Amino acid sequence: MLTALLSRLGQMVLVMFGISVVAFLIFFATPGADPSARIAGRNASQETLVQVRHDFGLDRPLPVQYALMMERLFISRDLTSFVNRGQRVVPTVLEAIPITLSLVLGAAVLWLLGGLIVGVIAGATRGTWLDRTLMILSLIGVSIPVFWLGEVANLVTQSRWHDSWLFSWVPPLGYIPFTEDPWGWFKALVIPWFTLATLYIGLYGRVLRASIIETMQEDFIRTARAKGIGERRVLMHHGLRTSLVAFVTMFGLDFGALVGGGALLTEVVFGLQGVGKLTYGALQTLDLPMILATVIYASFFVVMANFIVDVAFVFIDPRVRDAH
Amino acid sequence: MRSRKVFSAMMAGVGLAGLMLMAPITGAAAQEGKVGGTLKLLANAAAGTIDPHINYTLQYFQINYILYDGLVTFRKTGDKTGFEVVADLAESLPKPEDGGKKYVFKLRKGIKFADGSDLTTADVVASFQRMFKISGPTTGTLYNGIVGADKCLKTPATCTLEGGVVADEAASTVTFNLVTPDPDFLQKISIPHAAILPTQAPLKDSGTVPIPGTGPYMIASYDPNSLLKMVRNPHFKEWSKEAQPAGYPDEIDYGFGLTDEAAVTAVENGQADWMFDPPPADRLAELGTKYAKQVSVHPLTAMWYAPMNTNLAPFNDIRVRQAVNYAIDRAAIVKLFGGSNLAQPSCQILPPNFPSYAPYCPFSANPGEKWSAPDLEKAKALIAASGTAGQEVTIITEDTEVSKSIGVYLQDVLNGLGYKTSVKPISQNIQFTYIQNTNNKVQISISQWFQDYPAPSDFLQVLFSCASFTPGSDASVNISGFCDKSIDQKMSEAQTGMIADPAKGAQLWTAVDKAVTDAAPVAVLFTPKRVDLISPRLKNFVFSPQFYWIMSQSWVE
Repeated sequence: MLTALLSRLGQMVLVMFGISVVAFLIFFATPGADPSARIAGRNASQETLVQVRHDFGLDRPLPVQYALMMERLFISRDLTSFVNRGQRVVPTVLEAIPITLSLVLGAAVLWLLGGLIVGVIAGATRGTWLDRTLMILSLIGVSIPVFWLGEVANLVTQSRWHDSWLFSWVPPLGYIPFTEDPWGWFKALVIPWFTLATLYIGLYGRVLRASIIETMQEDFIRTARAKGIGERRVLMHHGLRTSLVAFVTMFGLDFGALVGGGALLTEVVFGLQGVGKLTYGALQTLDLPMILATVIYASFFVVMANFIVDVAFVFIDPRVRDAH
Repeated sequence: MRSRKVFSAMMAGVGLAGLMLMAPITGAAAQEGKVGGTLKLLANAAAGTIDPHINYTLQYFQINYILYDGLVTFRKTGDKTGFEVVADLAESLPKPEDGGKKYVFKLRKGIKFADGSDLTTADVVASFQRMFKISGPTTGTLYNGIVGADKCLKTPATCTLEGGVVADEAASTVTFNLVTPDPDFLQKISIPHAAILPTQAPLKDSGTVPIPGTGPYMIASYDPNSLLKMVRNPHFKEWSKEAQPAGYPDEIDYGFGLTDEAAVTAVENGQADWMFDPPPADRLAELGTKYAKQVSVHPLTAMWYAPMNTNLAPFNDIRVRQAVNYAIDRAAIVKLFGGSNLAQPSCQILPPNFPSYAPYCPFSANPGEKWSAPDLEKAKALIAASGTAGQEVTIITEDTEVSKSIGVYLQDVLNGLGYKTSVKPISQNIQFTYIQNTNNKVQISISQWFQDYPAPSDFLQVLFSCASFTPGSDASVNISGFCDKSIDQKMSEAQTGMIADPAKGAQLWTAVDKAVTDAAPVAVLFTPKRVDLISPRLKNFVFSPQFYWIMSQSWVE
């Protein structure tokens, strides 16, 4: 277990290093990316430009710049944005995490429940009209782009029917901290939760259904049935549990990616200033320090999620556990 | 300057149907304002540092005018007089002495900064030194005429401006000495880059930490990721209504992060009072009909234009540049921008309502004062004479809808003239510096210019003088690389003329405007207008020609 953990940590450092180097190099390879003139301001004189380039260390060799930036990011932690100067990137990312977590956790609860219900019902009623209806709905859910769904949700709840009894409770777009007003927090997030979860409910439902159908044809299911175990228990205890392997793998990866900033479009559409929104803004304005911070943060979560998934397997799948 | 984001979402074919009939929303003078409440403003994103000596965006210039004061400032009114310079921290407007090389300002008494400290002559000197010490964006271009500025630009850390800015504490005066007379000096020190800050202001970009000012409001907190909160400055007492009037709202909250679409909806719902970014095109119809009473449209002193590189083929031939000017259907481009309610065709450099502006359009089917229609025959004849047809041309646009659509239109025009044209859109955050650098070999591009201060030099000298062209630099705002010694000479003469006889100087500038327009280093496309959407509860929307909506003068009901 310890070796596994250490090797994972090693991998994580490697991945984060690689990604940060790639992001850094892509930035400097982009034509016109040199931020000095944008930092110096429009119509700046050449003296000012040189001064700014020097102040920001942009006149140094690239490896030195990279090392300095990493030092300021990880050790002194005072790296500041190129665009909103004075804005420290590390605290900014840290402050954005609760918002992203609130969004993704709530959506995750919804999509896990929804995915389970859809998958189990469809798997158990395979071939019936119920199965088909659920699968069609899932397909629609998977196909709807999340930004479109979010905009339509906004159109309905904020604009067209905002003043009707149906949606007059919807607060203005934006985040309300849980510690400030838990009920407001819930109201502000409930529509984003459903919007983000829609795609995953469809996806997870379909994957779980396929997995259940496959599992139910396995030998050990036949054995269970032969032992005289009831059909419901066979499905829930033997079939579902084994089918969950794919489900959990997907969940771990998706959850990691979303917490790492993958919920970007949802955050942008609903004005939630989470990590995804930060990444989006930084990419739009070519804010290298912020891009590096969010990219490294995201890779950390993706690698972490992989690791947690591996550990979770041990508990879910008896075959993995017994192999140890 | 260029605004941070320029009407980026406006698209083809959508007009503000109802807006033309509307009168601008301005409160009657007799109306009694309501003090108190919170103004809620929205913008896509924060606009960077809040250091007034550094920030160079329209978005924060607008608030810096009510947070800070200079010795002089632009009159805070909603009509043309908003372009006039009035005394602010100084008791009165000084008369230029020594042939325009010397200005003596006497400070008003009893003014305090938001931190409670008194305003003194030492603060004025320190503020001007600070501008240079922190490498302010305009120090090398607007303030380089102050005696001692050249040393400060070379070694900012030891800047003293000795002999340039001299305080006399006993008399409470500050004397400015200039190297050469500058008719625009008072305007240049009216913008927030010359705001007077306390002596103890940090000698570096203050970033997200507010610096106390003298205006009616002060910044309580600033988080570029969510909110800029302004509250009343407890030490403010109105000393001049025209320079810095007291404000109505108790608090002004500037929220960041909503998309344009969401911001329009929020203002319509009354969840916010105003949005900085222009409303997106697909909402204009709804605004023009259902919310027409909440919309106001104002022409800007700005231009959209296509700079042509006068040092690269085919645009190094004046006939080609003129041909492009003749061939462009400016009415079509205005349509691409959102229609005649949002823009007005233009051929010349200076915008309407600007000093020295005299209507002039040589590049029209009927050359004269106004543009009427393109003259394709003339354009084709000029191209034939130049013998450049068949060459390859690349148009560099921003990646916004409107810039791209204008680029594609221009591609049609150039193809029609016989070139092999392609369009290359670049992120709007990079494009402006990219097209300035001669190393990128940009032939033609789409750009915009918004005034900093209302003087013809801010368009003509800044954009077309030899001095503002620096090959190989990202900061070379003369994008065309236009350098004509005789026109440069005329500009200096006009500038000197302004001091001796302003009326005659203004005429000289009008002549320069014509000369530059004739030389066609750029194709001016149109003059944009600004659309402001406000909530129904917001009253007394006053629009300054200099820095747009004067927030402090509105109240909420």
